Amino acid sequence: MAPGILLALLGVAVVAWIAYNGVQNGKLFWVVTLNGITLAALFFVVAAGFTLIFGLMRVVNMAHGSLFLLAGYIAFTLQGTLYGVSSNLLSGTPATVVSWIVPLVVATIVIGLAGVLMQQVFLRWNQGQDLRQALITIAISVILADQMVAHFGGIAESIQQPAAWPDSVTVLGVHYGFFRLVVVVGAAIVIGGLLFLVIKRTRFGMIIRAGVDDRSMVSALGVNIQVVFAGAFLIGALLAGLAGVLGGTMLAVQPGNDSAFLLDSLIVVIIGGMGSLGGAAIGSLALGLVSSYSNVYLNFGTTDLTNYSILLTFILVVAMLAVRPLGLFGRPA
Amino acid sequence: MLRPQRNEFRRLLATAALGLLAVTACANNSSTTTTTSGVIKIGILSDCAGDFGSFYNDDIGGALSVLAAHYGGKATGSLPKDGMTGAKIAGKDIQIVGFGCSDSTANKAIEETRRLVEQLGADILIGPLSGDEGIAVANYAKTNQPNKTFLNGISGAQEATLKVQAPNFFRFNPDGAQWSAGLGSYAYNKLGWRTAAVIGDDYAFPYTSLAGFIAEFCAIGGNVTKRVWPPLGTTDFSSFVAQLPTNVDGTFVGIGGAGLITFLKQYQQANGAISSKHFMGNLFWIDPQLLTAIGTPLVGAVAASGIAADDTSAQTKAYVQELSVYPATQKDAASVFTLGYWSAMTALGMALTSVNGDISGNQKALQAALAKIVIDGPYGKISLDSNRQAIADNWVTQVTPPPAGSNVPGLKTILQIPKVDQTFGGFFSSSTPNLDRSNPPCAKKTPPPWVGNEVPVNFG
Repeated sequence: MAPGILLALLGVAVVAWIAYNGVQNGKLFWVVTLNGITLAALFFVVAAGFTLIFGLMRVVNMAHGSLFLLAGYIAFTLQGTLYGVSSNLLSGTPATVVSWIVPLVVATIVIGLAGVLMQQVFLRWNQGQDLRQALITIAISVILADQMVAHFGGIAESIQQPAAWPDSVTVLGVHYGFFRLVVVVGAAIVIGGLLFLVIKRTRFGMIIRAGVDDRSMVSALGVNIQVVFAGAFLIGALLAGLAGVLGGTMLAVQPGNDSAFLLDSLIVVIIGGMGSLGGAAIGSLALGLVSSYSNVYLNFGTTDLTNYSILLTFILVVAMLAVRPLGLFGRPA
Repeated sequence: MLRPQRNEFRRLLATAALGLLAVTACANNSSTTTTTSGVIKIGILSDCAGDFGSFYNDDIGGALSVLAAHYGGKATGSLPKDGMTGAKIAGKDIQIVGFGCSDSTANKAIEETRRLVEQLGADILIGPLSGDEGIAVANYAKTNQPNKTFLNGISGAQEATLKVQAPNFFRFNPDGAQWSAGLGSYAYNKLGWRTAAVIGDDYAFPYTSLAGFIAEFCAIGGNVTKRVWPPLGTTDFSSFVAQLPTNVDGTFVGIGGAGLITFLKQYQQANGAISSKHFMGNLFWIDPQLLTAIGTPLVGAVAASGIAADDTSAQTKAYVQELSVYPATQKDAASVFTLGYWSAMTALGMALTSVNGDISGNQKALQAALAKIVIDGPYGKISLDSNRQAIADNWVTQVTPPPAGSNVPGLKTILQIPKVDQTFGGFFSSSTPNLDRSNPPCAKKTPPPWVGNEVPVNFG
């Protein structure tokens, strides 16, 4: 199979190039690898919710990124109004553990409920009409994006991490951000584990898995599929909300993050296959590492091609669609 | 059909792809073309989205305030975007046909320019905001609309005037390199830097802004060992932060707009506090909006722009007073964004007055008048060179600790760099390579004329 061999050769060349550079500057390689892993952890939390909704309900929720961003703004506002945490970057009133956790929990729950409301009002009556549903969620995302710019402005805001937490930890001789490495990666692992248990070990999870494979049959067996759909949307939106607060603390809360993270979620699902949690994990890792490495190692002596790094993530998608059109763990039936 | 098939997945993907296209393309199709009579139609183009979307009201407000202060304009709402009516220049009614809302990309800027000029019939356009947009609009002015007049808003890419040289595109603000004048010398002579790294967004304005630093610093004898260019709109800067070398004397930061906050936060997470002796920034570091958002980490650092924020001369006070029609814009008086659009409308008002509001004859009389305008601005005189590019003073400024009871730092202007021109005293010309990721090269040669001739200032 020619494309397969070609891709394999390309893959070997890429790995060899990264390895060569890694040997040249081990410290940079390690930092860049950690960047990729921590970014992947954030992608995973966003995309896990997206893939659940996509896989079970066939709804391409184009407002998933807007829910992500809105959660960040809610938590940012709560931190300021409830606790008087300064919006200045790392100056002014610092945040405490409570004034970080409470906004996180509130924002996550609000976004979860908003997701269910959106599903009940806009998506319940038109099930099975993918195009109409995609267009409705696009409309919601555009309206939300404009309202957020009007209300919160175009300047990036940041949610403050608790001042009691260390700024950085030392791993293999490299100082690395504590929040990124411990909190975000830890959250992704915990969420991944919990979702795995829910999906593999509970009745609800069993129904979801059955629904991903064959909705009509699940419905015919007497399961109230509407409740399952609402539950899946709740979980999906909760994850978007949680990721929004994590992302707002790790990176920033700013206009444009909505569409950026929506696109990332789509790429993760294309790589991993829709509805698959393991696929989302591997897809996130692939996307995180590729975007992280390509920002640094797409540099060949005097020829600096790092400005084309965004293309590489799409090449990843094209390669996946060429070899496995359903994604790594996507199943046709 | 009960089971999902490959085709269904493909259809969903196609739907998603279509959706993304729909989200990114936002068409504007209102069409009202009319001909000009006793009315002069002006369109104003800025960014309301993207990295610089937060400067929208500063931009429009800067321009409209001039109409309110001098030409009888009445604001129709509390925000500049609500519009203004009733202004008259030399007896001609001034009609604001609309506000263009771009997002720092050239495509969107051209789309909005076409809407304002071709559909809403603007005779004169003020704008755009950002570097790549400015190059695109200057080319559009030269090629598509030679008989209309364009005044730059605040875009600062060198190419827009030095290379494009559109006879009907006028820029009354310095370009990015001019705004960096004085910093290379300060780094070398005052901070003792001999080697430096630079980081900037990957597009035309930061190329220009960093070129000003690189040209001056290297001419004196400094060496720039690394240039890092994250794309505009980057949210995760960690891999770019990791590429900044630690074995240099200093780093010049040309990240702008919303990205600057994200960059500084992630830099601090990776490397700890920013040392003001080893960091320097371009005009964004001392912009009022960003200074408020960033706070104290920058205290002690030096940056430069065409603004002397602590100047309290009568000229400056008069300028701030002119902005009083829009309190939110007035608060950001010491922002290049406000000043740039204010300068454009001020020059236009003066030129229209001098030609008695006559825009017949393909606006050639107006354009000839504009080329000769000298603005007696709040921070010094602004005149144009033969490429219709501003020659103006530049001001080196230090960030000072916040006054008691505030956590917003203050600003102290320390050096005046008089009459900086776009060629940088002969460094740049229409035949030098376009500024990009590797140009200008770092080379020792005769420094720009102001090196050693900076004027120390103290506004008290």
